[in-house]
Amino acid sequence: MAREFLGEFEELVLTMVAALREDAYGAAIADEIQIRLSRDVNLSAVHVTLYRLEDKGYIKSSMGGATKERGGRRKRIFSITSAGMATLKAMREARIDLWKLVPQLKLIVG
Amino acid sequence: MTPGRSSEEDSVTRVARNWAVRMMRRVCPPSIYEEIEGDLIQRFERERATLGEGTARRRLTWSAIRFLRPGIVLRHQWNLNITSPTMIFNYLTIAWRIMRRNTGYTVINILGLALGMTGALLLGLWVTNELSFDQFHQDGDRVHIVWNREKQQGGDVSCWSATPRVLATTLQSDYSAVEQAVSYADYNDSYLFTVGDRHILKNTANFVDPGFLSVLSFPLIRGDVNTALADPNSIVLTESFARQLFGEHEAFGGEITMAQGEYKIPFTVKGILKDLPSNTDFHFDFLLPFSFIEKNFGRETNWSNNSVITLVKVKGGVSAESLGEQIRDLKKKNLKGEETELFLYALERNHLYSQFENGVPSGGRIEIVRMIGLLALILVLIACINFINLSTARASKRTKEIAVRKVTGAFRGALVLQFLCESILVALLAGIISLGAVYFLLPAFNTLIQQSLRVELTSMAFWLFLGITVLIVGLLAGGYPALYLSSLSPINIFKGGWLELGRNRIRSVLVVLQFGFALTLIVSTFVVFKQTKFLQQRNIGYDRANLIYQYLTGKLSVNFPAYREALLSTGFVTSVTCTSSPITQRMSNTSGMKWRGKDPGNNTVIERFAVDQHLSETMGVQIVQGRDLDLVKFPSDSTGALINEAAARVMKLDNPIGEIIEDSGQPWHIVGVVKDFVFTSPYRRVEPIVMQGAKVGAHMAGVVHLRLNGRRSIREAIDAISRVAIKHNPDYPFEYQFVDEEYARKFANEETTLAITTIFSGLAIFIGCLGLLGLSTYLIEARMKEIGIRKVLGGTTVSIVRLLTHHSLRPIVWAIVLFSPLAWWAMHWWLQSYEYRIHITWWIIPMAALLLLLMAMTTITFQIYKAANINPTATLKAE
Repeated sequence: MAREFLGEFEELVLTMVAALREDAYGAAIADEIQIRLSRDVNLSAVHVTLYRLEDKGYIKSSMGGATKERGGRRKRIFSITSAGMATLKAMREARIDLWKLVPQLKLIVG
Repeated sequence: MTPGRSSEEDSVTRVARNWAVRMMRRVCPPSIYEEIEGDLIQRFERERATLGEGTARRRLTWSAIRFLRPGIVLRHQWNLNITSPTMIFNYLTIAWRIMRRNTGYTVINILGLALGMTGALLLGLWVTNELSFDQFHQDGDRVHIVWNREKQQGGDVSCWSATPRVLATTLQSDYSAVEQAVSYADYNDSYLFTVGDRHILKNTANFVDPGFLSVLSFPLIRGDVNTALADPNSIVLTESFARQLFGEHEAFGGEITMAQGEYKIPFTVKGILKDLPSNTDFHFDFLLPFSFIEKNFGRETNWSNNSVITLVKVKGGVSAESLGEQIRDLKKKNLKGEETELFLYALERNHLYSQFENGVPSGGRIEIVRMIGLLALILVLIACINFINLSTARASKRTKEIAVRKVTGAFRGALVLQFLCESILVALLAGIISLGAVYFLLPAFNTLIQQSLRVELTSMAFWLFLGITVLIVGLLAGGYPALYLSSLSPINIFKGGWLELGRNRIRSVLVVLQFGFALTLIVSTFVVFKQTKFLQQRNIGYDRANLIYQYLTGKLSVNFPAYREALLSTGFVTSVTCTSSPITQRMSNTSGMKWRGKDPGNNTVIERFAVDQHLSETMGVQIVQGRDLDLVKFPSDSTGALINEAAARVMKLDNPIGEIIEDSGQPWHIVGVVKDFVFTSPYRRVEPIVMQGAKVGAHMAGVVHLRLNGRRSIREAIDAISRVAIKHNPDYPFEYQFVDEEYARKFANEETTLAITTIFSGLAIFIGCLGLLGLSTYLIEARMKEIGIRKVLGGTTVSIVRLLTHHSLRPIVWAIVLFSPLAWWAMHWWLQSYEYRIHITWWIIPMAALLLLLMAMTTITFQIYKAANINPTATLKAE
């Protein structure tokens, strides 16, 4: 089976799902991205990406309880699957491997 | 802000009421809507506190709009995973069983759709053929026809396409943007073709420049495009004309003797053309090179003689507009006092858009094509409406099935798909039937409309078109029923919920639409019929019965006096008149005639016609002033002239007798005024005509009209005349035309329009009535219990008939009320194209309405009568 690759934004959202755990839902993820990366993301983009990741089997979802804050609307809480975690790890390791190939700063100076 | 309400609650209502959010709710799959709305509320709440009310609301709207994206909208999951082949197969099986169980209903549905589609396909073929006229030429987009534009006295601009011969040669040599410029001439003259002992007479001759065959794509079977017409004595024949002349012998390279008047000239066949397709406005049997005329009679350099069509092929990459600009004043430059401007008009627009009004293109045949296309659409629409109405009316028969399917887990989408499958199946069956029908009806349809349309069974485009039509009809007919049926709630159905049967507003609107179209079509048929009859019965001012004409061929023009005497002495011919053209055709016209007191700005076009003598006796034209031309009693009548009343009006001569009219330097003295007669078009007012005497000369007076003795048999007369003609002119066959038949040919277009409107209105009404029959049958069936109860409680048959009739006919009455103005307006518009036309009489619309009501009544009366007479015990005992 050919390995599926994740786009940059997909990887970002997947990481956020993993990081936020019980609090991983659309608006929260968008807010976190904005706060931590100062990157203005559109709510609908986050939602679409979440659904797409769910289709690919990297995350799963369940409906959370209603809170007053949202006018009684429930949240859809996402959680990372083991497949998602494996992919995330694989991507991270691949990136670190690649990073090691880059000549490091001290070599240039030295 | 309402006091007592928390700010959260307020945010929720604000978000829910936002227009963008509402719009999103419509398209967003319900399974994910809640969490999205929740996120929006949460964010709005926060931003309202930090950024203020206005900004927060703007951002909310924008966020909601951004949710209208494929990633969200297309997440309607059920749409994607029910299309399993098994389910489709199940739907088709069920559809098939239901169709078989209700034969009557199925027949009405399929027959209606099949009739509609047959009609639409036939009309579609005609439309396609019209649209394809002269579209097949290679690089056809670079070929243009040169037109003239001239401002008339009243300020109107008139346009025409006849140009001088010298134009093409000038364009070819002087303009670098021109790839090729050729003349195409269509001369009315008689030519006798002789090969061995075969003689064929042709009354038109087509002269072209050699480049004609490379500008237009009429392919040669034999011969070379570049050299076929290079030699002055070469000729190109069409395949079928070559076969007529040469029979089974090889025509290519063969010798033909062509005789015109006293000349006999040998020609060599240098090319055989494939027979011309039917979708071209060029009609010819043979082509002769202009170089032949030029070799024998010299090059024509007269810029005022508009006698040919000039075709220009513009070089690739050069805009036709800029060339048009360059040649605009070409005529003015070459001719003193000339006011005419030239312009280019695309060949591909020539067939459909060549009508000009006041110097700008104003449509033309395309209007008829659009009307016919609309008619085809209406037919399909009427048939689809039948399907829609029957399906929704019969919904109650399907409710149990729908409910069971829903309870066992069918999504609404699945049901929609099921009903669409059914309607597409019906459309497919109807399509197959109509394909067969078209195949068998096409020859008859072709005869009717005088065309030679064909179904291209091997063409992918045709099958694609057919497939798309079936699909569209299926979706159009099945779309609304599918949505309606799938919306029924299983709870209501199982509780025995009351289904609104009779009062479906959409159904009534559709019936109104159907019968509105039917009414419009009936009115059109009446009006077209009356207008055609009106034109045909127009008093044309001469007696066209027992009048024949023939072209003066070979020795006849030289021996004319002897021929004339011989004809008269047979006793079959009472009067003989020599003319320049058949009385049904114009010869030429001019605005250059001069008379005493002519306003110098007056450039009214006056028709030229030449007559030797006895016009009144031969044609039956009435003399209102003065006398007829008579060369025996008044030898000076060879320079005499007759004018018609219209000409007398134009010339504003109080006493025209004795006045002189000058035409191209030749004076003519007026000896009489004739009552207006129809000379060119029976649709228009009579044009002014000047009929010039025998001085015109034998070469111009090439036609002879013979008045047959009405008391003798026509067959014997023709035999006798033919013997005399052959005796005086042994080399030529005797050919003649009856003027009344020739005149009747002017109505070919009207006859076609009449035939199409009559047949297709009939078809539309029939399909509409078929639907009405199905609908009323079903609605009456559904009200059987009600009728039974009414009868038990003392309702009379009459009152029940009245009740049911009232219900069935109400939409039709509405149709009449709403569509009468439309029908009137449509026909008023159609009549504008005729100068000589009827007024729409007020009673045409009531009469059409009455006819429509009568037909609808006939359709439903039997059903209603049967229902009203039913024994109530039969309907009431079962429960």
